[in-house]
Amino acid sequence: MKATSDKSNQANTKPQAGYSRRKILKTAGVLSAAAGLALPARIGYAKEFDGVTLQGASFASTFFKYLENYFPEFEEQTGMKVNFVTNAFPVFNQRTDLELSTKGSALDVINVTFIYSGRWIGAGWVENLKPYVEDPNLTPDDWEYKDFVGGTMAALVDANGDPHGFPWEAGAMIMIASRGDLIEKAGKKLPTTFEELVDVCEAINGVERTAAFTADKLHHWNYIPYMMGFGGNVFKDPPGNLTPTWDTPEVAAAADYYGALLSKYGPPGVLSFTDDQAMQTQKTGRANIRTQAITWGVPVAKDPDSRTKDTVRYGMVPGGPAGAFPGSNSHGFGIPVGSKNKEAAWAFIKWAVGKDISRRMLEEHGYPSICRQSIIDSELFKETLTLNGQDVASLYGEVLKLGGDSGYMKYRTVPQFPQIGDKINKAIERVATGQQNGTEAMAQAQEEAVADLKKSGVQIDL
Amino acid sequence: MSLRVDAGGQKMAAPQEQARVKPARDPARNRERFYWYCLWPAFVVLIVVTLIPTLYLIVISFTPLDLTRPETNWDFSTPLVNYNLILEDSRLHNSFWVQIKLSFWTVTIQMILGFLFALLLNSKSTYLEALRTIFLIPMVLPPIVVAIIWKVLYTPDISPFHWALEGLGFVVPSLITDPTWALWAIIIADIWEWFPFVMLMILAALQMMPEEYIEAARIDGASVWQTTVYITLPYLKGVLIVAALFRLVDSIKAFPLIYILTDGGPGTVTEVTNFYSFMQAFNFSYLGYSSAITVTLVAATVVLSWGIVRLVGWGKAHD
Amino acid sequence: MTEAATDLGELRRYHLRRLRRERFILHLVVTLLLIAIMFPFLWLLVLSVKPMEAMFAWPPQLFFTPTVEHYIGLWDGEFPKSFMNSLITSVGSTLAAMVLGVPSAYALSRMRTGSSAGISLAVLASRMAPPIAFTIPYFLAYRYIGLQDTRVGLILIYLTFNLSLVIWLMRSFFDAIPRSLEEAAWIDGASHWQSFFKIILPISGPGLAATAILCFLYSWNDFFFALILTRTEATTAPVAVVNFLNYEGWEWGKIAAGGTMVMLPVLIFSIVVRKFLISGMSAGAVKG
Repeated sequence: MKATSDKSNQANTKPQAGYSRRKILKTAGVLSAAAGLALPARIGYAKEFDGVTLQGASFASTFFKYLENYFPEFEEQTGMKVNFVTNAFPVFNQRTDLELSTKGSALDVINVTFIYSGRWIGAGWVENLKPYVEDPNLTPDDWEYKDFVGGTMAALVDANGDPHGFPWEAGAMIMIASRGDLIEKAGKKLPTTFEELVDVCEAINGVERTAAFTADKLHHWNYIPYMMGFGGNVFKDPPGNLTPTWDTPEVAAAADYYGALLSKYGPPGVLSFTDDQAMQTQKTGRANIRTQAITWGVPVAKDPDSRTKDTVRYGMVPGGPAGAFPGSNSHGFGIPVGSKNKEAAWAFIKWAVGKDISRRMLEEHGYPSICRQSIIDSELFKETLTLNGQDVASLYGEVLKLGGDSGYMKYRTVPQFPQIGDKINKAIERVATGQQNGTEAMAQAQEEAVADLKKSGVQIDL
Repeated sequence: MSLRVDAGGQKMAAPQEQARVKPARDPARNRERFYWYCLWPAFVVLIVVTLIPTLYLIVISFTPLDLTRPETNWDFSTPLVNYNLILEDSRLHNSFWVQIKLSFWTVTIQMILGFLFALLLNSKSTYLEALRTIFLIPMVLPPIVVAIIWKVLYTPDISPFHWALEGLGFVVPSLITDPTWALWAIIIADIWEWFPFVMLMILAALQMMPEEYIEAARIDGASVWQTTVYITLPYLKGVLIVAALFRLVDSIKAFPLIYILTDGGPGTVTEVTNFYSFMQAFNFSYLGYSSAITVTLVAATVVLSWGIVRLVGWGKAHD
Repeated sequence: MTEAATDLGELRRYHLRRLRRERFILHLVVTLLLIAIMFPFLWLLVLSVKPMEAMFAWPPQLFFTPTVEHYIGLWDGEFPKSFMNSLITSVGSTLAAMVLGVPSAYALSRMRTGSSAGISLAVLASRMAPPIAFTIPYFLAYRYIGLQDTRVGLILIYLTFNLSLVIWLMRSFFDAIPRSLEEAAWIDGASHWQSFFKIILPISGPGLAATAILCFLYSWNDFFFALILTRTEATTAPVAVVNFLNYEGWEWGKIAAGGTMVMLPVLIFSIVVRKFLISGMSAGAVKG
């Protein structure tokens, strides 16, 4: 008899599910009672999203490597098939930006990249998720949207405070030294200031075929803590005033400093590294120190194929005369407005950043960049983030707090940052390859950035 | 239509009957009509797929179209805004200069290498004839594979060249991230990919060259060098010009090598105009500005090619 | 007499020896050059069968047991789908271009008008335009007509270069076929269509093959159009390999295997039909 009920249920609810639920979103409340009657019949009957293939995309991160392991059970629960594609950071951003700009339906769930969040949300390219969260039929109360760490939501809300995405990564920049033993052997300690960093690099560079410093080519993320540490800033007063302020001696000095780190202490080809490649240099012990988000630091200690898991050391990002400004960011799942499977996409998001999966990601894979307060506060978190004997959990909390308190990360989420960041990338490349000094390179970058901002119709002081 | 004329004698009888009658009436007009039937589908499609998009591109270039700002769509209030920007954009000007360097070196070296290889291979030997096809491999490979091949060779970790040099005690920087070498890294890869094209064209021409020319000169006591300079080269003039023109036009379209190997860097050392235009359009959504750059680039290419053809004569190239 | 004869024989033998030696040196030089030029290409093939642990070993390992792990890893992922997309779009666009282009090339070849200059111009112009010139309008138009990320969309944009290529190449092939052939058929009572299908097409077999192969290769080798106009459903093999390169930039074995897979059809094609290919390429080029 179960078979018949299965069938009849399918016949009754399936065709109307998509239609009626969409309507509910608009006339929320009135119809919710009626739909409420139809919906509880979820488990044991026809699955809600039978026949749906969910197209997801993000930049490659360890998060997705781990999450993939849970796809089968999610597919089993919901009946949908998940096809999640990951790409390198710039490639993902470029392709998704293209897709969003056409309001196409090729993608159902995407990562709302931190630096693109202002652009994508501002242009109305990603769905407002407020109706989804507030509809009790779509989102149970115990999902607790207030549980996400405050700072991580900042980039994912629009001007009215409505959420357009929910975070899976709370990025906090730390310093990772894959061959801490070499630093000790040289009689040094983990550097805490820019001066010490250069001092340490000088002492260890080339020892045992290991370059002292490594980084990926996303300079507009990696270099900014140095820029700010020297006392510089990206914009005059973001997001209100986007006048670039790069013609100062501080910014120039920071560019010279960071350029030298790359050119003098980086492994060959460092300027072409992607995130993954830079991590690979640390895991194979070909390079030592990197300042990058914790997500890229943990695998050095955790991955079975890491050759440096017994020598890796973690510390705060060194500070300069103006203080320490480790970057912090967040990346979250969002739904393109052109998607034809929005409810399925929401089901996926709800699941992927839900409490259950977040906890299991931490427990089973040691995924560090958790965004849920209830988990960060747990004993499990502290335990898992004790890496090679070090308490990385406190480091993480400290960085998140720093970024959240002073709001110095606001520069990153202005809609024009993708273009502006590109100018910084190119400037750092020119400095690191000796084509220009910091002053010239940053002045030129500023000129280009100003032209670009004007092209976008942004008012600036210059 | 009568397109479905099947083989088989019986079926053909009827059309044959018709055919016999029609041409009798007005064979020439009938034939013309047939030709037009053949022509117009392709022409209509050609216009739809190439001409209309080109016009559309030109139209867009007069708007500040930026996909993040829908209000810029069809905004003709400042039609010359992009073209004014072109005059001021120093990074774009730099890209022209990079393009000139890239085109000059790749075309020149490809012509020389292609010519030398063609001379070497132009001998009556079954062995060499068999090898000829293998020499063509670089040019038939998908450009993206060529780019990957060179990415491997330029990556110190896995490059046999870097191993060999390190074994000999030299530590060479990665060419693609070194500002003095990055453009040359692209040039070398491009030469490798396309010199066989020049070689192929010259070989084809050489094989049509009457042997008596050379033999007669030899009997008169001319050296190999002399016959090459005074007989072979002038004979090849037409084909050399066509080959150079083709390579020049293609070098302006260079994309995969730059995209894979250097991404325009380090800094903007390898950022050619085509690549810069791509970034403006598809990284930052400035489609209006990118269209204006592209229109300028195409116009420059056409004028340049036309100039070359006028200067050296296209007609001769046909012989 | 005898002395002179021996001398002459000696001389001839000497010349022959010298000629042989020269030829030997020539062959040696060409062979060495060939190896040098093919080296980068061969290295990719070697890399694609090199085990992961031998990849980064120091000192470098030149000898190792080859493995197919990279190919297997590749075949388990998204790659087969993109490979099929490449095949379908290349074949589709080639067919469309041939069906449209061959009759019109024939007509152009037979009409006594001055349109040949116009055609050459159109062909040259479409060759000169960098791909981005077409990509921008197509990208914008496809948003409205829903052809982004579809194979049909790719087939259409491949016509921008394939159609003019077919017209151009086939016209030169038809030019080489004497008119007397079809004129004789007309006298025998054949219609224009019949003479075209039964007489002209069969004897232009090699030309058709060469043209179709070139179209296929150009479409297969496309990277730029597919990069911009596809997302998930219609991605072609070259785009898939590049995604891969960007994503796991250090998995060189898989990257090499992917590259090898992408070039495989091209290589097989080129070797099987090398004569047609060379004639097609040189005809296309020389007739400029």
